[in-house]
Amino acid sequence: MTALGINIPSLIAYLVNFVILLGVLYLFAYKPLLKVLDQRSERIRESLAAADQAREAAASSQATIQQQLDEARRQGQHLLDQAREAAGRYREEEMGRARNEAEAFVARARTDIQRERDAAIDEVRTHFGDLAITAAEQVIKKSLDRTAHHALIAQVLEEGGSLKPS
Amino acid sequence: MKPQSLMKRLLLPVALGLVILGLSGCFVGAIGSAVRGTSPFVAQPEIHLPSQPVFPQEVRDCHLGLGPCPEDDSHGVTEPVKAKDAAHGAAEAKPHAKPLGAMQFAVTNTLLAAWFATLVIILFFVLGTRKRSLVPGRFQGLVETLIEGVLSFATGVVGAEMARKALPVVGTIFFFVLFNALLSLFPFYQFLGFVQDGEIKAHLLRSPGTDVNMPMALALVSFAFVEYWGLRAHGLGYFKKFFAFGKLLKGNILGGLIDLFVGFLELISELVRVVSFTFRLFGNMTAGEILVVMVTFLAPFVFIQIFFALELLVALIQSVIFAGLTLVFLSVAVHHEEHH
Repeated sequence: MTALGINIPSLIAYLVNFVILLGVLYLFAYKPLLKVLDQRSERIRESLAAADQAREAAASSQATIQQQLDEARRQGQHLLDQAREAAGRYREEEMGRARNEAEAFVARARTDIQRERDAAIDEVRTHFGDLAITAAEQVIKKSLDRTAHHALIAQVLEEGGSLKPS
Repeated sequence: MKPQSLMKRLLLPVALGLVILGLSGCFVGAIGSAVRGTSPFVAQPEIHLPSQPVFPQEVRDCHLGLGPCPEDDSHGVTEPVKAKDAAHGAAEAKPHAKPLGAMQFAVTNTLLAAWFATLVIILFFVLGTRKRSLVPGRFQGLVETLIEGVLSFATGVVGAEMARKALPVVGTIFFFVLFNALLSLFPFYQFLGFVQDGEIKAHLLRSPGTDVNMPMALALVSFAFVEYWGLRAHGLGYFKKFFAFGKLLKGNILGGLIDLFVGFLELISELVRVVSFTFRLFGNMTAGEILVVMVTFLAPFVFIQIFFALELLVALIQSVIFAGLTLVFLSVAVHHEEHH
Protein backbone atom coordinates (compact mmCIF):
# COMPACT_ATOMS: atom_id res chain seq x y z
CA MET A 1 0.00 0.00 0.00
CA THR A 2 2.60 2.56 1.06
CA ALA A 3 5.06 1.55 -1.65
CA LEU A 4 2.37 2.27 -4.20
CA GLY A 5 1.53 5.47 -2.39
CA ILE A 6 -1.99 4.69 -1.24
CA ASN A 7 -2.72 7.19 1.49
CA ILE A 8 -6.15 7.46 3.06
CA PRO A 9 -5.99 11.16 4.01
CA SER A 10 -4.82 12.01 0.50
CA LEU A 11 -7.67 9.96 -0.91
CA ILE A 12 -10.14 11.81 1.27
CA ALA A 13 -8.54 15.11 0.29
CA TYR A 14 -8.96 14.25 -3.40
CA LEU A 15 -12.57 13.24 -2.81
CA VAL A 16 -13.30 16.49 -0.96
CA ASN A 17 -11.51 18.42 -3.67
CA PHE A 18 -13.59 16.70 -6.32
CA VAL A 19 -16.84 17.37 -4.51
CA ILE A 20 -15.95 21.06 -4.12
CA LEU A 21 -15.01 21.29 -7.79
CA LEU A 22 -18.22 19.52 -8.74
CA GLY A 23 -20.28 21.91 -6.61
CA VAL A 24 -18.60 25.03 -7.94
CA LEU A 25 -18.79 23.90 -11.54
CA TYR A 26 -22.41 22.86 -11.10
CA LEU A 27 -23.38 26.23 -9.68
CA PHE A 28 -21.24 28.44 -11.90
CA ALA A 29 -20.80 26.50 -15.10
CA TYR A 30 -23.10 23.59 -15.86
CA LYS A 31 -26.38 24.92 -14.55
CA PRO A 32 -26.21 28.45 -16.00
CA LEU A 33 -24.63 27.27 -19.20
CA LEU A 34 -27.25 24.60 -19.80
CA LYS A 35 -29.86 27.29 -19.20
CA VAL A 36 -28.22 29.52 -21.78
CA LEU A 37 -27.98 26.62 -24.22
CA ASP A 38 -31.64 25.80 -23.69
CA GLN A 39 -32.62 29.44 -24.12
CA ARG A 40 -30.58 29.64 -27.27
CA SER A 41 -32.04 26.50 -28.78
CA GLU A 42 -35.52 27.74 -27.84
CA ARG A 43 -34.72 31.06 -29.47
CA ILE A 44 -33.43 29.36 -32.59
CA ARG A 45 -36.51 27.15 -32.75
CA GLU A 46 -38.75 30.21 -32.42
CA SER A 47 -36.78 32.12 -35.03
CA LEU A 48 -36.97 29.22 -37.43
CA ALA A 49 -40.71 28.92 -36.87
CA ALA A 50 -41.12 32.67 -37.41
CA ALA A 51 -39.04 32.48 -40.56
CA ASP A 52 -41.18 29.62 -41.83
CA GLN A 53 -44.30 31.58 -41.04
CA ALA A 54 -42.97 34.66 -42.81
CA ARG A 55 -42.04 32.55 -45.81
CA GLU A 56 -45.51 31.05 -45.92
CA ALA A 57 -47.12 34.48 -45.56
CA ALA A 58 -44.95 35.83 -48.33
CA ALA A 59 -45.83 32.88 -50.54
CA SER A 60 -49.54 33.28 -49.87
CA SER A 61 -49.46 37.04 -50.47
CA GLN A 62 -47.54 36.38 -53.64
CA ALA A 63 -50.29 34.03 -54.70
CA THR A 64 -52.92 36.64 -53.82
CA ILE A 65 -51.11 39.30 -55.79
CA GLN A 66 -50.81 36.96 -58.74
CA GLN A 67 -54.49 36.17 -58.48
CA GLN A 68 -55.37 39.85 -58.37
CA LEU A 69 -53.12 40.56 -61.32
CA ASP A 70 -54.76 37.79 -63.29
CA GLU A 71 -58.17 39.11 -62.38
CA ALA A 72 -57.21 42.65 -63.39
CA ARG A 73 -55.76 41.41 -66.65
CA ARG A 74 -58.90 39.45 -67.37
CA GLN A 75 -61.08 42.44 -66.60
CA GLY A 76 -58.91 44.70 -68.73
CA GLN A 77 -59.09 42.24 -71.59
CA HIS A 78 -62.83 42.07 -71.17
CA LEU A 79 -63.16 45.86 -71.23
CA LEU A 80 -60.92 46.04 -74.25
CA ASP A 81 -63.03 43.45 -76.04
CA GLN A 82 -66.20 45.32 -75.15
CA ALA A 83 -64.72 48.59 -76.38
CA ARG A 84 -63.53 46.98 -79.58
CA GLU A 85 -66.91 45.44 -80.13
CA ALA A 86 -68.71 48.73 -79.44
CA ALA A 87 -66.36 50.53 -81.77
CA GLY A 88 -67.01 47.96 -84.46
CA ARG A 89 -70.70 48.20 -83.99
CA TYR A 90 -70.57 52.00 -84.07
CA ARG A 91 -68.48 51.94 -87.20
CA GLU A 92 -70.89 49.58 -88.87
CA GLU A 93 -73.81 51.78 -87.89
CA GLU A 94 -72.08 54.93 -89.04
CA MET A 95 -71.02 53.36 -92.26
CA GLY A 96 -74.58 52.09 -92.87
CA ARG A 97 -75.99 55.48 -92.24
CA ALA A 98 -73.46 57.19 -94.44
CA ARG A 99 -74.12 54.68 -97.19
CA ASN A 100 -77.89 55.27 -96.91
CA GLU A 101 -77.41 59.01 -96.94
CA ALA A 102 -75.15 58.78 -99.91
CA GLU A 103 -77.55 56.53 -101.71
CA ALA A 104 -80.45 58.87 -100.91
CA PHE A 105 -78.35 61.81 -102.07
CA VAL A 106 -77.40 60.03 -105.26
CA ALA A 107 -81.05 59.04 -105.89
CA ARG A 108 -82.19 62.55 -105.32
CA ALA A 109 -79.52 63.90 -107.60
CA ARG A 110 -80.41 61.38 -110.22
CA THR A 111 -84.08 62.38 -109.97
CA ASP A 112 -83.10 66.05 -110.21
CA ILE A 113 -80.91 65.37 -113.20
CA GLN A 114 -83.66 63.38 -114.86
CA ARG A 115 -86.10 66.13 -114.26
CA GLU A 116 -83.72 68.79 -115.53
CA ARG A 117 -82.99 66.69 -118.52
CA ASP A 118 -86.68 66.11 -119.24
CA ALA A 119 -87.30 69.84 -118.91
CA ALA A 120 -84.35 70.59 -121.17
CA ILE A 121 -85.46 68.08 -123.73
CA ASP A 122 -89.00 69.42 -123.61
CA GLU A 123 -87.61 72.87 -124.06
CA VAL A 124 -85.33 71.79 -126.85
CA ARG A 125 -88.13 69.88 -128.49
CA THR A 126 -90.41 72.93 -128.23
CA HIS A 127 -87.72 75.20 -129.62
CA PHE A 128 -86.78 72.66 -132.23
CA GLY A 129 -90.47 72.30 -133.29
CA ASP A 130 -90.88 76.01 -133.52
CA LEU A 131 -87.63 76.24 -135.36
CA ALA A 132 -88.60 73.47 -137.70
CA ILE A 133 -91.99 74.97 -138.31
CA THR A 134 -90.53 78.36 -138.87
CA ALA A 135 -87.99 76.80 -141.17
CA ALA A 136 -90.70 74.86 -143.00
CA GLU A 137 -92.84 77.99 -143.25
CA GLN A 138 -89.91 79.71 -144.61
CA VAL A 139 -89.34 76.89 -147.09
CA ILE A 140 -92.81 76.16 -148.23
CA LYS A 141 -94.00 79.62 -147.60
CA LYS A 142 -97.26 78.58 -146.44
CA SER A 143 -98.99 78.60 -143.12
CA LEU A 144 -99.65 75.39 -141.59
CA ASP A 145 -101.82 74.28 -138.69
CA ARG A 146 -99.35 74.69 -135.78
CA THR A 147 -101.00 72.13 -133.52
CA ALA A 148 -101.26 69.55 -136.29
CA HIS A 149 -97.60 70.00 -137.10
CA HIS A 150 -96.47 69.76 -133.51
CA ALA A 151 -98.20 66.42 -133.34
CA LEU A 152 -96.52 65.44 -136.54
CA ILE A 153 -93.07 66.47 -135.25
CA ALA A 154 -93.57 64.65 -131.98
CA GLN A 155 -94.38 61.57 -133.97
CA VAL A 156 -91.31 61.98 -136.10
CA LEU A 157 -89.15 62.38 -133.00
CA GLU A 158 -90.72 59.40 -131.40
CA GLU A 159 -89.91 57.32 -134.35
CA GLY A 160 -86.36 58.66 -134.19
CA GLY A 161 -86.27 57.68 -130.44
CA SER A 162 -83.07 59.43 -129.50
CA LEU A 163 -84.51 62.51 -127.88
CA LYS A 164 -87.33 60.85 -126.04
CA PRO A 165 -87.34 61.59 -122.32
CA SER A 166 -86.62 58.37 -120.43
CA MET B 1 7.11 41.70 -46.75
CA LYS B 2 4.31 39.20 -47.13
CA PRO B 3 3.83 36.90 -44.16
CA GLN B 4 3.98 33.86 -46.38
CA SER B 5 7.35 34.72 -47.81
CA LEU B 6 8.58 35.50 -44.29
CA MET B 7 7.44 32.05 -43.20
CA LYS B 8 9.22 30.51 -46.16
CA ARG B 9 12.41 32.38 -45.41
CA LEU B 10 12.26 31.44 -41.76
CA LEU B 11 11.48 27.78 -42.40
CA LEU B 12 14.97 26.73 -43.34
CA PRO B 13 16.85 28.49 -40.50
CA VAL B 14 14.31 27.23 -37.96
CA ALA B 15 14.52 23.66 -39.26
CA LEU B 16 18.31 23.86 -39.29
CA GLY B 17 18.32 25.27 -35.75
CA LEU B 18 16.05 22.45 -34.58
CA VAL B 19 18.30 19.83 -36.12
CA ILE B 20 21.38 21.37 -34.54
CA LEU B 21 19.59 21.66 -31.19
CA GLY B 22 18.43 18.06 -31.44
CA LEU B 23 21.87 16.77 -32.28
CA SER B 24 23.47 18.82 -29.53
CA GLY B 25 20.80 17.42 -27.21
CA CYS B 26 21.92 13.94 -28.14
CA PHE B 27 25.49 15.01 -27.66
CA VAL B 28 25.14 16.51 -24.19
CA GLY B 29 22.41 14.14 -23.01
CA ALA B 30 22.89 10.83 -21.34
CA ILE B 31 23.61 9.00 -24.59
CA GLY B 32 26.34 11.39 -25.72
CA SER B 33 27.83 11.70 -22.26
CA ALA B 34 28.07 7.94 -21.92
CA VAL B 35 30.03 7.84 -25.16
CA ARG B 36 32.19 10.78 -24.15
CA GLY B 37 32.52 9.62 -20.56
CA THR B 38 31.25 12.84 -18.98
CA SER B 39 28.27 13.58 -16.78
CA PRO B 40 25.01 14.23 -18.62
CA PHE B 41 23.44 17.66 -19.06
CA VAL B 42 20.35 16.57 -17.14
CA ALA B 43 21.02 14.52 -14.02
CA GLN B 44 19.68 11.02 -13.89
CA PRO B 45 16.13 11.30 -12.60
CA GLU B 46 14.94 9.45 -9.54
CA ILE B 47 11.58 7.81 -9.94
CA HIS B 48 9.34 7.82 -6.89
CA LEU B 49 6.11 5.97 -7.36
CA PRO B 50 4.40 7.44 -4.27
CA SER B 51 3.91 11.18 -4.26
CA GLN B 52 6.22 13.22 -2.08
CA PRO B 53 4.99 15.20 0.91
CA VAL B 54 5.91 18.86 0.62
CA PHE B 55 4.09 20.42 3.56
CA PRO B 56 4.50 20.53 6.51
CA GLN B 57 8.25 20.84 6.41
CA GLU B 58 8.99 18.22 9.12
CA VAL B 59 7.21 15.55 7.13
CA ARG B 60 9.06 16.60 3.99
CA ASP B 61 12.42 16.53 5.78
CA CYS B 62 11.61 13.13 7.21
CA HIS B 63 10.56 11.92 3.77
CA LEU B 64 13.74 13.17 2.17
CA GLY B 65 15.85 11.85 5.02
CA LEU B 66 16.97 15.36 5.93
CA GLY B 67 15.55 15.53 9.42
CA PRO B 68 14.04 13.50 12.20
CA CYS B 69 10.69 11.86 11.59
CA PRO B 70 7.70 12.63 13.75
CA GLU B 71 7.04 9.86 16.22
CA ASP B 72 3.57 8.89 15.07
CA ASP B 73 4.44 7.67 11.58
CA SER B 74 7.38 5.47 12.50
CA HIS B 75 5.42 2.35 13.28
CA GLY B 76 5.55 -0.30 10.66
CA VAL B 77 6.80 1.97 7.91
CA THR B 78 10.26 3.14 8.70
CA GLU B 79 11.74 -0.25 9.48
CA PRO B 80 11.10 -1.98 6.15
CA VAL B 81 12.35 1.06 4.29
CA LYS B 82 15.46 1.17 6.36
CA ALA B 83 15.92 -2.54 5.77
CA LYS B 84 15.54 -1.94 2.04
CA ASP B 85 18.08 0.85 2.22
CA ALA B 86 20.50 -1.43 3.93
CA ALA B 87 19.93 -4.07 1.30
CA HIS B 88 20.89 -1.59 -1.41
CA GLY B 89 24.14 -1.15 0.49
CA ALA B 90 26.71 1.53 0.18
CA ALA B 91 26.30 1.83 -3.59
CA GLU B 92 23.50 4.28 -2.97
CA ALA B 93 24.70 6.51 -0.23
CA LYS B 94 21.79 8.92 -0.66
CA PRO B 95 19.05 8.43 1.87
CA HIS B 96 16.06 6.80 0.23
CA ALA B 97 12.83 8.69 0.13
CA LYS B 98 10.45 7.33 2.67
CA PRO B 99 6.82 7.15 1.61
CA LEU B 100 4.03 8.45 3.77
CA GLY B 101 2.27 6.05 6.04
CA ALA B 102 -1.14 4.91 4.85
CA MET B 103 -2.88 7.02 7.50
CA GLN B 104 -0.41 9.88 7.75
CA PHE B 105 -1.57 13.22 6.45
CA ALA B 106 0.64 15.62 4.58
CA VAL B 107 0.12 17.88 1.62
CA THR B 108 1.83 16.01 -1.17
CA ASN B 109 3.08 17.58 -4.37
CA THR B 110 0.35 15.78 -6.34
CA LEU B 111 -2.35 17.06 -4.01
CA LEU B 112 -0.95 20.57 -4.37
CA ALA B 113 -0.99 20.18 -8.14
CA ALA B 114 -4.57 18.94 -7.97
CA TRP B 115 -5.55 22.03 -5.98
CA PHE B 116 -3.78 24.18 -8.52
CA ALA B 117 -5.59 22.43 -11.37
CA THR B 118 -8.88 22.79 -9.51
CA LEU B 119 -8.25 26.51 -9.21
CA VAL B 120 -7.43 26.76 -12.90
CA ILE B 121 -10.57 24.81 -13.87
CA ILE B 122 -12.76 26.97 -11.65
CA LEU B 123 -11.24 30.17 -13.02
CA PHE B 124 -11.56 28.92 -16.57
CA PHE B 125 -15.21 27.99 -16.28
CA VAL B 126 -16.34 30.78 -14.00
CA LEU B 127 -14.68 33.42 -16.19
CA GLY B 128 -15.95 31.69 -19.29
CA THR B 129 -19.54 31.69 -18.14
CA ARG B 130 -19.52 35.00 -16.26
CA LYS B 131 -21.20 37.00 -19.00
CA ARG B 132 -23.78 34.58 -20.25
CA SER B 133 -25.08 36.06 -23.45
CA LEU B 134 -27.19 34.35 -26.08
CA VAL B 135 -24.63 35.37 -28.66
CA PRO B 136 -21.40 34.12 -27.09
CA GLY B 137 -17.99 35.75 -27.33
CA ARG B 138 -14.88 33.74 -28.08
CA PHE B 139 -14.13 32.64 -24.54
CA GLN B 140 -17.72 31.78 -23.74
CA GLY B 141 -17.87 29.98 -27.07
CA LEU B 142 -14.86 27.88 -26.12
CA VAL B 143 -16.29 26.97 -22.71
CA GLU B 144 -19.66 26.21 -24.26
CA THR B 145 -18.05 24.07 -26.93
CA LEU B 146 -16.25 22.03 -24.26
CA ILE B 147 -19.34 21.52 -22.13
CA GLU B 148 -21.56 20.89 -25.12
CA GLY B 149 -19.00 18.42 -26.40
CA VAL B 150 -19.17 16.44 -23.16
CA LEU B 151 -22.96 16.74 -23.17
CA SER B 152 -23.34 15.45 -26.72
CA PHE B 153 -20.86 12.66 -25.96
CA ALA B 154 -22.97 11.71 -22.93
CA THR B 155 -26.16 12.00 -24.98
CA GLY B 156 -24.74 9.51 -27.45
CA VAL B 157 -24.14 6.98 -24.70
CA VAL B 158 -26.99 7.35 -22.20
CA GLY B 159 -29.59 9.40 -24.05
CA ALA B 160 -30.52 13.07 -23.80
CA GLU B 161 -32.42 12.98 -20.52
CA MET B 162 -29.86 11.01 -18.54
CA ALA B 163 -26.99 12.94 -20.13
CA ARG B 164 -28.17 16.17 -18.51
CA LYS B 165 -28.26 14.46 -15.12
CA ALA B 166 -24.88 12.86 -15.66
CA LEU B 167 -23.20 15.96 -17.05
CA PRO B 168 -22.02 17.50 -13.75
CA VAL B 169 -20.22 14.40 -12.50
CA VAL B 170 -19.01 13.10 -15.85
CA GLY B 171 -18.00 16.57 -17.02
CA THR B 172 -16.11 17.27 -13.81
CA ILE B 173 -14.29 13.94 -14.08
CA PHE B 174 -13.44 14.70 -17.70
CA PHE B 175 -12.17 18.21 -17.06
CA PHE B 176 -10.34 17.27 -13.89
CA VAL B 177 -8.42 14.49 -15.62
CA LEU B 178 -7.81 16.59 -18.73
CA PHE B 179 -6.67 19.76 -16.98
CA ASN B 180 -4.45 17.84 -14.58
CA ALA B 181 -2.77 15.97 -17.39
CA LEU B 182 -2.36 19.05 -19.57
CA LEU B 183 -1.16 21.35 -16.80
CA SER B 184 1.47 18.84 -15.75
CA LEU B 185 3.11 19.26 -19.14
CA PHE B 186 4.06 22.84 -18.24
CA PRO B 187 7.76 23.13 -17.47
CA PHE B 188 7.25 24.64 -14.02
CA TYR B 189 6.01 21.26 -12.85
CA GLN B 190 9.54 20.04 -13.58
CA PHE B 191 11.65 22.88 -12.25
CA LEU B 192 9.83 24.05 -9.12
CA GLY B 193 10.96 22.08 -6.13
CA PHE B 194 12.91 21.82 -2.94
CA VAL B 195 16.60 21.85 -3.69
CA GLN B 196 19.23 20.07 -1.66
CA ASP B 197 22.86 19.82 -2.79
CA GLY B 198 22.00 21.42 -6.13
CA GLU B 199 19.35 18.87 -6.93
CA ILE B 200 15.61 19.02 -6.71
CA LYS B 201 14.80 16.49 -4.02
CA ALA B 202 11.07 16.96 -4.08
CA HIS B 203 9.02 18.76 -6.72
CA LEU B 204 6.51 21.31 -5.57
CA LEU B 205 3.98 20.14 -8.15
CA ARG B 206 3.59 16.75 -9.76
CA SER B 207 0.99 15.40 -12.11
CA PRO B 208 -1.83 14.17 -9.83
CA GLY B 209 -2.49 11.26 -12.16
CA THR B 210 0.80 9.80 -11.02
CA ASP B 211 -0.51 9.61 -7.47
CA VAL B 212 -2.63 6.50 -7.13
CA ASN B 213 -4.95 8.29 -4.70
CA MET B 214 -6.26 10.70 -7.32
CA PRO B 215 -7.41 8.08 -9.86
CA MET B 216 -8.74 6.05 -6.96
CA ALA B 217 -10.80 8.98 -5.68
CA LEU B 218 -12.20 9.50 -9.17
CA ALA B 219 -12.87 5.78 -9.53
CA LEU B 220 -14.76 5.80 -6.23
CA VAL B 221 -16.78 8.81 -7.34
CA SER B 222 -17.55 7.11 -10.63
CA PHE B 223 -18.49 3.89 -8.82
CA ALA B 224 -20.73 5.66 -6.29
CA PHE B 225 -22.34 7.69 -9.06
CA VAL B 226 -23.13 4.62 -11.18
CA GLU B 227 -24.51 2.66 -8.22
CA TYR B 228 -26.60 5.64 -7.10
CA TRP B 229 -28.28 5.95 -10.49
CA GLY B 230 -28.69 2.19 -10.75
CA LEU B 231 -30.45 2.17 -7.39
CA ARG B 232 -32.53 5.20 -8.31
CA ALA B 233 -33.61 3.66 -11.57
CA HIS B 234 -34.50 0.22 -10.22
CA GLY B 235 -34.87 0.62 -6.47
CA LEU B 236 -33.78 -2.36 -4.41
CA GLY B 237 -34.41 -4.51 -7.46
CA TYR B 238 -31.06 -3.25 -8.68
CA PHE B 239 -29.37 -5.72 -6.32
CA LYS B 240 -31.14 -8.62 -8.02
CA LYS B 241 -28.43 -8.34 -10.64
CA PHE B 242 -25.86 -9.36 -8.03
CA PHE B 243 -27.88 -11.58 -5.72
CA ALA B 244 -30.11 -13.56 -8.06
CA PHE B 245 -32.01 -15.87 -5.72
CA GLY B 246 -35.19 -15.80 -7.85
CA LYS B 247 -34.82 -19.16 -9.61
CA LEU B 248 -33.38 -20.87 -6.55
CA LEU B 249 -36.41 -19.90 -4.44
CA LYS B 250 -38.72 -21.21 -7.16
CA GLY B 251 -37.01 -24.63 -6.86
CA ASN B 252 -34.93 -24.45 -10.04
CA ILE B 253 -31.69 -25.64 -8.43
CA LEU B 254 -29.42 -25.70 -11.50
CA GLY B 255 -30.67 -22.44 -13.01
CA GLY B 256 -30.59 -20.85 -9.57
CA LEU B 257 -26.99 -21.85 -8.99
CA ILE B 258 -26.00 -20.54 -12.42
CA ASP B 259 -27.81 -17.27 -11.68
CA LEU B 260 -26.05 -17.02 -8.34
CA PHE B 261 -22.70 -17.58 -9.99
CA VAL B 262 -23.44 -15.02 -12.71
CA GLY B 263 -24.56 -12.56 -10.04
CA PHE B 264 -21.34 -13.18 -8.15
CA LEU B 265 -19.37 -12.48 -11.32
CA GLU B 266 -21.38 -9.29 -11.84
CA LEU B 267 -20.58 -8.22 -8.30
CA ILE B 268 -16.88 -8.91 -8.76
CA SER B 269 -16.76 -7.10 -12.10
CA GLU B 270 -18.58 -4.16 -10.53
CA LEU B 271 -16.00 -3.92 -7.78
CA VAL B 272 -13.06 -4.58 -10.06
CA ARG B 273 -14.04 -1.53 -12.08
CA VAL B 274 -12.76 0.66 -9.29
CA VAL B 275 -9.39 -1.07 -9.51
CA SER B 276 -9.27 -0.96 -13.30
CA PHE B 277 -10.32 2.69 -13.37
CA THR B 278 -7.64 3.52 -10.82
CA PHE B 279 -4.77 1.72 -12.42
CA ARG B 280 -5.62 2.60 -16.00
CA LEU B 281 -5.29 6.31 -15.31
CA PHE B 282 -2.49 5.91 -12.79
CA GLY B 283 -0.51 3.66 -15.15
CA ASN B 284 -0.94 5.88 -18.17
CA MET B 285 -0.09 9.09 -16.36
CA THR B 286 2.87 7.56 -14.54
CA ALA B 287 4.21 5.97 -17.70
CA GLY B 288 3.87 9.27 -19.55
CA GLU B 289 5.65 11.14 -16.78
CA ILE B 290 8.47 8.61 -16.65
CA LEU B 291 8.76 8.64 -20.42
CA VAL B 292 9.05 12.42 -20.52
CA VAL B 293 11.57 12.47 -17.68
CA MET B 294 13.68 9.70 -19.22
CA VAL B 295 13.70 11.21 -22.70
CA THR B 296 14.68 14.56 -21.17
CA PHE B 297 17.53 12.75 -19.48
CA LEU B 298 18.62 10.91 -22.64
CA ALA B 299 18.31 13.75 -25.16
CA PRO B 300 17.31 17.02 -23.52
CA PHE B 301 16.27 19.06 -26.58
CA VAL B 302 13.84 18.72 -29.47
CA PHE B 303 13.16 14.97 -29.25
CA ILE B 304 11.12 15.52 -26.14
CA GLN B 305 8.60 17.46 -28.22
CA ILE B 306 7.46 14.25 -29.86
CA PHE B 307 6.69 12.83 -26.46
CA PHE B 308 4.94 16.03 -25.37
CA ALA B 309 2.68 15.68 -28.40
CA LEU B 310 2.06 12.09 -27.40
CA GLU B 311 1.26 13.19 -23.85
CA LEU B 312 -1.24 15.76 -25.13
CA LEU B 313 -2.98 12.95 -26.93
CA VAL B 314 -2.79 10.65 -23.90
CA ALA B 315 -4.29 13.39 -21.72
CA LEU B 316 -7.28 13.68 -24.02
CA ILE B 317 -7.65 9.94 -24.48
CA GLN B 318 -7.48 9.19 -20.76
CA SER B 319 -10.04 11.84 -19.86
CA VAL B 320 -12.37 10.63 -22.62
CA ILE B 321 -11.92 7.03 -21.47
CA PHE B 322 -12.56 7.83 -17.82
CA ALA B 323 -15.68 9.84 -18.61
CA GLY B 324 -16.77 7.46 -21.36
CA LEU B 325 -16.49 4.32 -19.25
CA THR B 326 -18.38 6.01 -16.42
CA LEU B 327 -21.14 6.74 -18.93
CA VAL B 328 -21.13 3.20 -20.30
CA PHE B 329 -21.37 1.72 -16.81
CA LEU B 330 -24.08 4.22 -16.00
CA SER B 331 -25.99 3.20 -19.09
CA VAL B 332 -25.65 -0.48 -18.14
CA ALA B 333 -26.75 0.20 -14.55
CA VAL B 334 -29.77 2.29 -15.54
CA HIS B 335 -30.96 0.11 -18.40
CA HIS B 336 -29.90 -3.34 -17.18
CA GLU B 337 -33.47 -4.57 -16.75
CA GLU B 338 -34.14 -3.94 -20.41
CA HIS B 339 -31.39 -6.30 -21.43
CA HIS B 340 -32.93 -9.26 -19.66
